Amino acid sequence: MRKILLALVIVGLVVGVGFAQDKVTIRLAGYSGDTPLMQDVLARFVEDKIPGVEVVWEPITEDFLAFVLRTLSAGTAPDIFYVDLYWAETVASTGLVEPLDQYLADSAILSKEDLIPVLVDAYTVDGKLYAISKDFNSLVIFYNKDMFDAMGVAYPSGDDTLATFLDKIVRVYNSREWYGACLNADAARFLPFAFAAGMPFLKEDGSAPFDLAPAKYAADWYTTFNRLGIGATSADIGAGWPGAAFINEQAAICIEGGWLIPPIRNENPTLNFGTAFLPIVWEGGPRGNYLFTCGYAMPTNPPSGRSDLVFKVIELLTSPEVQTYILEAGHAIPSRVALLDSPYFQQEDPFAQATKTVFEATGLAGTLPFTFGEIAGGAYMGAVNEALTLIMQEEATVEEAMNDAAVKLDLE
Amino acid sequence: MRKRGDLVSAFIFLLPLLFTLAVAFLYAFVRTVYFSFTDYNLFQITKFVGFDNYIKLLADYRFVLALTHSLVYAVVVTASQTFLALMLAIVLNQKIRGLTFFRASYYVPCIASSVAITTIFIWLMNRRGTVNWFLTAIGRYWPFIITGLALIVLVQCLQVFWERRQGLPARVLDPALFGISLLIGVVGAVILGRLGVVQPYPMAEAAIPWLTTRQTFLGIPYPLLSIMMLNIWTTTPTFMILFLAGLQDVPQELYEVAEMDGATPWQKLLHVTVPALRPVLFLVITLGLIGTIQMFDQVAIMAGTAPLESTITLSYYVYWNMFGAGTLPKVGMASGAALVLAALTLFVVFIQRRLGFSEKGWYS
Repeated sequence: MRKILLALVIVGLVVGVGFAQDKVTIRLAGYSGDTPLMQDVLARFVEDKIPGVEVVWEPITEDFLAFVLRTLSAGTAPDIFYVDLYWAETVASTGLVEPLDQYLADSAILSKEDLIPVLVDAYTVDGKLYAISKDFNSLVIFYNKDMFDAMGVAYPSGDDTLATFLDKIVRVYNSREWYGACLNADAARFLPFAFAAGMPFLKEDGSAPFDLAPAKYAADWYTTFNRLGIGATSADIGAGWPGAAFINEQAAICIEGGWLIPPIRNENPTLNFGTAFLPIVWEGGPRGNYLFTCGYAMPTNPPSGRSDLVFKVIELLTSPEVQTYILEAGHAIPSRVALLDSPYFQQEDPFAQATKTVFEATGLAGTLPFTFGEIAGGAYMGAVNEALTLIMQEEATVEEAMNDAAVKLDLE
Repeated sequence: MRKRGDLVSAFIFLLPLLFTLAVAFLYAFVRTVYFSFTDYNLFQITKFVGFDNYIKLLADYRFVLALTHSLVYAVVVTASQTFLALMLAIVLNQKIRGLTFFRASYYVPCIASSVAITTIFIWLMNRRGTVNWFLTAIGRYWPFIITGLALIVLVQCLQVFWERRQGLPARVLDPALFGISLLIGVVGAVILGRLGVVQPYPMAEAAIPWLTTRQTFLGIPYPLLSIMMLNIWTTTPTFMILFLAGLQDVPQELYEVAEMDGATPWQKLLHVTVPALRPVLFLVITLGLIGTIQMFDQVAIMAGTAPLESTITLSYYVYWNMFGAGTLPKVGMASGAALVLAALTLFVVFIQRRLGFSEKGWYS
């Protein structure tokens, strides 16, 4: 009797293993901060939707670019991985990321025309599309309405110039209670103002542009808040990032993207806040902004061995249902053209309105994709960050710091 | 026959370790040497570049800076932590009340996570963090501190003088008398402050940018100095344990003989303790030099906070060439820098052995 039972158990195990081996496992790797959302999305919209496919979420805590390059080189890259626009060209140049043009052409569900053109262009390198944007974002001014009301100052608006905006922040600053602005020495926040002021990405001879007058003009304005003491960095305030300082009501404004909306909803849902476009450089002048986006890509040899199934998962993850769900969670703007008229943007609550402002900001003239082409983005931004830090701490003048930054980048 | 059999047995037992060393070290080392002569970017090698990578290293101001930082860091931190560890071990080798508690407390920095400690440390060293708050307090209230200390010294002297006049044996630092002096000194300083005799010094709030600056002190950037202080604090306890173990082997008879010869505590330390601890000193200094030359984690954690030029070390320079700039890795440059780091480590340990402490004990 015992032998029969044992035999049955063994047969059952073998059959079970056999069934298990019929399932194809698709590994999806992304930022660890997205874990709750992605696990929710996978459970609601992906699980059991493709027969014989199991999608496993792999949160990555290390530097994501390092992870992608390392695993692509070793041949152990996941089936689907995030690609940030910032380093998309670097990853595409490895030759180990699968172009998706043919998959889109053959797909009955997803085509290039379904996606917002600027996002398609953003991930197109040498005529080939290497990733499908899953969402996008841009920068807006988040402001605390209560603080502006208390100091009798008009709210920031899209009509503000750099000068009028500075004036509002000077007047909303309350030396006992809050800072006017929380601004870090962050090139990703500063460069839109520099480009709007007329700084080119590079000079015509390919050298660094930071010693040009527009760059210095923008640097002078951007660092004025902290130099006057009406603004402070997040570290000085004791917050991890400017968004945290804003949520904790330690600063009247900060410059962030739609990614600030879920933390506000989670940590301080009664915060009375509004959003506005970044100020224009001068009356009737240009406005700058950055377009941030993250997409899904797959390696040329996915570990599952089934590129077709991998793309089906990407189709599901970028479906209207998933993108609408993510939009309403306040996470990011969908990349599908059809969702740009979503009724969510018409809702009156501050979170929906903030998302609408972020969305509208992405379409304004002067909004540039957050990419650096062949230039090492880290070196470009690093030179700017150090210059801004020196100016904010009054260890160097604007002239000295920006000239130094130009020399430093030219050495790279 | 038996010897050959022993040899074969020994080799078989060593085989797993040798295999691991061959793969994880020898193979990796040979590949690193090979890559340092190419333009490999983790995905393809397009050409053999000879010594170009090494020439570029010497011409790269960041490499020179990283090399300088690594050497200064190694010398200062190794010397400081060795000295402090030895002093702590000598103090904790006494029979004092609460010895176990003190030994455990001093060891806590070693067992805490390096990442967690560095993160807290970044928070403490903010421009409006606890360290600057403490310095501001010292800067503003130093008149009170000086007044309190003066009162303590005065009262202690008076008490000792009075006791000795009564014919009672009173040591200068008698604990009971010191307790009374301390109480009177603190209360006296507070009273004088209330009366307006002593006032705070009008000083602006200290806002030293410990981590976000390129300022230097004696040529060492503030951020690197901050990392030095942190590492001395976290690594000293480990070496303290080694010294403590070594102190248990020092024969007590040597101290007794020294005392009979009239040796002072300082002479006993220099002529009995230190020679007896020579093997441990060799180990501590060697481990210290190797660990400090290869320091990486604190610099990596501070990468977004501190300017790169103020903290970069050789290890981080290797990492930065691989993944730092947002472009494809410069494996050739990183490999060259890694080999320079390895050679430097060997050289420093060699110099230390030739000119400093050897591993031979005092009885040799």
